[in-house]
Amino acid sequence: MAETEAANRPNDDKPIEVRFRGGGFAPRSLRWVGVAVFVVLIGLIQWGTQSGWISALTLPKPSDVLATFVQLWESGLLFKHLQPSLTRLVIGAALGASAGIATGVLIGLFSYVRAGLVPLVAAIFPIPKIALLPLFVIWFGIDEGSKYALIAFGTFTPTVVATYGAVDNVDRSLIRMGQSFGLSWSSIVRKIVLPGAMPGILSGLRISLAIAIILLVAAEMLGAEYGIGAYILEAGSLYDLERLFAGVVILSLLGVLVSALIGLLEKRLLGWRV
Amino acid sequence: MRLNRRQTLGLMGAAAATTLAAPAIAQNRKIVVGALRFTSHSGSFIALERGYFNDAGLDVELKFFQAAQPMAVAIASGDVDYAVTAVSGGLISLADKGAIKVIGGALSEEDGIDGQKILASDAAFKAGLTSPSQLGGKTFGMSTAGSSFHYMGSKVAQAEGVEMSFKPLQKVGAIIGALKSGQIDAWSIVPHIAKPLAGSGAVHIIGNISDYLPGYQVTTVFTSAKNASDERGQTEDFLAGFGKGVSDYNSTMIDKAGGDDGVNEMVDLIHKYVYTDRPREKAAPSIINGTMRINEGARLNVASLKDQLEWFQSEDLVGKDITLDTLVDGSYVEIYEG
Amino acid sequence: MGMDIRLDGICHSYGDTDVLRDISLEIPTGQIVCLVGPSGCGKSTLLRLIGGLERPGSGRVLQLGAPPADSLNPLTFVFQDFALLPWRSVKGNISLVLEDHGIRGQRSKAIIDDVLKRTKLSDFADALPKQLSGGMKQRVAIARALAVNPAVMLMDEPLSALDAQTRELLMDDLVALWTRQPFTAVYVTHNLAEAVRLGHTIVVLSRRPGQIREIVRIDTPIGERRAGDPVCQTKHDLLWELMREEARAADEELIDG
Ligand SMILES: Nc1ncnc2c1ncn2[C@@H]1O[C@H](COP(=O)(O)OP(=O)(O)OP(=O)(O)O)[C@@H](O)[C@H]1O
Ligand SMILES: [Mg+2]
Repeated sequence: MAETEAANRPNDDKPIEVRFRGGGFAPRSLRWVGVAVFVVLIGLIQWGTQSGWISALTLPKPSDVLATFVQLWESGLLFKHLQPSLTRLVIGAALGASAGIATGVLIGLFSYVRAGLVPLVAAIFPIPKIALLPLFVIWFGIDEGSKYALIAFGTFTPTVVATYGAVDNVDRSLIRMGQSFGLSWSSIVRKIVLPGAMPGILSGLRISLAIAIILLVAAEMLGAEYGIGAYILEAGSLYDLERLFAGVVILSLLGVLVSALIGLLEKRLLGWRV
Repeated sequence: MRLNRRQTLGLMGAAAATTLAAPAIAQNRKIVVGALRFTSHSGSFIALERGYFNDAGLDVELKFFQAAQPMAVAIASGDVDYAVTAVSGGLISLADKGAIKVIGGALSEEDGIDGQKILASDAAFKAGLTSPSQLGGKTFGMSTAGSSFHYMGSKVAQAEGVEMSFKPLQKVGAIIGALKSGQIDAWSIVPHIAKPLAGSGAVHIIGNISDYLPGYQVTTVFTSAKNASDERGQTEDFLAGFGKGVSDYNSTMIDKAGGDDGVNEMVDLIHKYVYTDRPREKAAPSIINGTMRINEGARLNVASLKDQLEWFQSEDLVGKDITLDTLVDGSYVEIYEG
Repeated sequence: MGMDIRLDGICHSYGDTDVLRDISLEIPTGQIVCLVGPSGCGKSTLLRLIGGLERPGSGRVLQLGAPPADSLNPLTFVFQDFALLPWRSVKGNISLVLEDHGIRGQRSKAIIDDVLKRTKLSDFADALPKQLSGGMKQRVAIARALAVNPAVMLMDEPLSALDAQTRELLMDDLVALWTRQPFTAVYVTHNLAEAVRLGHTIVVLSRRPGQIREIVRIDTPIGERRAGDPVCQTKHDLLWELMREEARAADEELIDG
């Protein structure tokens, strides 16, 4: 009896270890979990389609998708599709992103430009660029021009918004510092504003380039014989789920690649961040 | 009992009909029929308006689609029971997956009746594209690879011994725009679209598909594989009602059995579904121009289907191991080789 | 030689709020003038007016005499938050203010080495700001200011972001810098100990709108002032008396909104 009572009283001679309650809420790098999720998911689908529990109309067999992919590779068709798509992506996104960064910086720097362009950008941002594709075809022709234009236009607006936001967020005290040391306007822009806006510009690029990949498929809706987007659309209209998924996987890989490239760029350019 | 207009018309139609086939099963089974707002779908419109489906013991709801592709998917998913559409790679692919079956024929090319036209853009025409034999090196519009446009264009090129490149443009509207602005050189399309385009001078008719594909089975009646195998009665009833609608259409619009009055009455009926955004007097010429014979009794030209299947296979658009039996259930209608 | 600054009837307001009222003041060459006053009374504003980062509502800021010929930036700020470019190394931050004057290469290196030595940072020339402690960052900011050879240094609470020990050490550094080569400075602070330690004159501002309440002179040479020095202690107490009332009133004003 006496012993139980003693055990109930914490301030007795027996010390109690403080309970740890500070865990969680801190992201850790656990790359294998992502891989495991993929493996389990694909394994499940393979098992489901093999056993007929998932019908052929619902999902293709992952192994068939892989076979399609291998065939695509071996026949050389993969590069026949990849090459025009990558060209469109690179040229379109480069045009859109560089115009977007330039415009964003101008908006960030000049009040008149801001007053004039911000409403315009806000007005064109929500337009589904796909809806304008027929118009682009008339303006830029059914060949590569309209495809570059669509991708460029689609990457342009998010880049503008991200860039002027980033310029706005550059620490004003650094700009004041530059002025107080008598730095010229162009020096302030080149040496303070642009590097200071770089983190925001790069994270904006992440989104813009993902949008560029999305628009690649849209751009290849009109008049493209070759290209990953054309391949996916064709597979879709043929209900060829294996090819459809093989194409989608290529797009996903492209997305991962672009994101990794930006990650690399961030590592190189933004090493100064705390 | 409250009657709406459609039911009233149905009753009137029933009263007018001379002999009625006895419904195979209980009255008023609900089914959904998919349709596009094209003249070529008139069989379904007439059967519904004149109560032929009701007579067959079916309570039909029409469901309208913007394009053939989603309609085929809706059949595969069971949201729609029966529909009419062109044979395409997608349709064959769905059949291969055990989702759908072709059970009858609808639109086909026929001697003596205006069929699908081969069109050239004004620019290409002026540059010398005045007959299909000059199509070599030209661009030909199509909705997607594996569409009926792709098939027609390929067949024409094959027959002429030339090579063309095909531009996928997804939608008919986009193809028309590209053709008018000279972004593509040529295309083929049903007469009721071809004629007004040619009339405006923006494009030129340079040939007929029927010269290259006589007896081409353009559209077919299809349903889910499950309906075809398990719902025999219902499927027969549908085809019976649909067939009567088709009969009325052919006799009135092509054979002119009812004279001009008959045509006018039929135009009124079809105008409820087609070109509804235009006034009657503007819609009428298009409806009349668009007249093509729909197969009596939904009979099916399997020779044409076989040719189409083989072409899709040769282009590697569908699996090589697909047989005609996978695509067609020939047990419902008369099949022929034309 | 040298350049004095004269403030002539400076008034300033932001919208409806009067911030400064009729400030007239001399800042003589080679002396440190400390500005103290309750929070929000306009000290930083006054400093920005002196440095030409803002225009006074009325009154004038005058330079008397020419700045030294080799002064690249006669009026040079040292900010409370250091204002170092995080993407440039210590060296790069200093060369930033030289580049625009066309000073590069060997000449630039000589200046940078010199100011880094004077601020005892020679070993950290290639470090990024994120690798430095607060005190070191402020020394970099001071080195950067020294690099342009200013006629007047405008220092806005340069030590208040630092802990007490670092502050003491940096104050010693400033004193050493000044004794080696006297510079002119306007030094804004909240901390009376700093004012008494570094100021030749200490200007006490009233609560907003800031007016000059009192100008206190301390004649003890800067190099000889020690903690607990009776003269300094007296001045400190005097300043505290002056400030106490204003600070309390200012505080209540803020609460009332
Ligand atoms: N740019 C500005 N626009 C409007 N009001 C301002 C601006 N800058 C300062 N003020 C106001 O002017 C007054 C004086 O500000 P200032 O920063 O000069 O005070 P301070 O004496 O430096 O205060 P602290 O001791 O807190 O640093 C404050 O009430 C502040 O809110
Ligand atoms: Mg201040």
